[in-house]
Amino acid sequence: MTRVKRGNVARKRRKQVLNLASGFRGSSSRLFRTAQQQTMKALSYSYRDRQQKKREFCGLWVTRLNAAARLYGLNYTNFRHNLKKAGIQLNRKV
Amino acid sequence: MSHHGLIRGVQSLEGLRLRLVDAKGEVVGRLASQIAIILQGKDKPTFCSNKDDGDVVVVVNAAEAELTGRKWDQKLYRWHTGYPGGLKERTAKEMAEKKPDYVLRQAVLGMLPKNNLRRSMARKLRIYAGERHDFEQHPDLVPFQMPPRKLREKGDLFELPPGFEAFNPQAYQKRYGHRLNRQEQQQQQPQAAAAAATAAAQQPGGSRS
Repeated sequence: MTRVKRGNVARKRRKQVLNLASGFRGSSSRLFRTAQQQTMKALSYSYRDRQQKKREFCGLWVTRLNAAARLYGLNYTNFRHNLKKAGIQLNRKV
Repeated sequence: MSHHGLIRGVQSLEGLRLRLVDAKGEVVGRLASQIAIILQGKDKPTFCSNKDDGDVVVVVNAAEAELTGRKWDQKLYRWHTGYPGGLKERTAKEMAEKKPDYVLRQAVLGMLPKNNLRRSMARKLRIYAGERHDFEQHPDLVPFQMPPRKLREKGDLFELPPGFEAFNPQAYQKRYGHRLNRQEQQQQQPQAAAAAATAAAQQPGGSRS
């Protein structure tokens, strides 16, 4: 085998992780090993929450529509039902 | 605003209404769920779960709120004082005697979300046992009406629509027979009473003539 000097390969890899970990508390933004653990957690949370964000906003919009409909004497279920009966009216829930 | 000193511990009171709720004759839990909705601000189309935008709720006559069944004697409030052997339990009646607003307040607090906004929501809830309250001078009092209760009509569900026969007559009779018989008796009684009344009216008329 030829001799291989390791160069800056490891440093680049760790620097990438530490950049992702900027703003973390304490040693999690300074030391590579703790930073890597917290970065892995952070990335998996962000993946999960990209899906959850859509759900949560939908729920918020439904709550707001419910409140607004009740000002007119309806509730959300009747509101949706009558919208459906009246034809496909686009309720983008925003 | 005149109530600045009366409501502290809340972020801001601008744009919030002051709802006056009369608890006289209302069932505690049902009233508490409506109050919790108002306190969270869920009756507004601008609801935000990270912001405390609920109206202030002033409850009056809390001592006249009702519990159904035997709950005044049977419902127990339990808490631990932290000392060994310090599990205390008191009935709803006892708690109401010592603190008239306790039952309603615990009911509402239990229905609020358990998060960081809970304290400021609870701070907006004012319960008074009697008729007087500290906000009478406030210009913006809005009375609150409980929504009508959805009471299910019980009793006619076993009747078949006209022209329909029971698919399984034995099971139908077994299940609803006693109520059908009772209904027939009730129908027969007014008819019998009417027949008896007409007969009685005819007889004296007939005997006199």
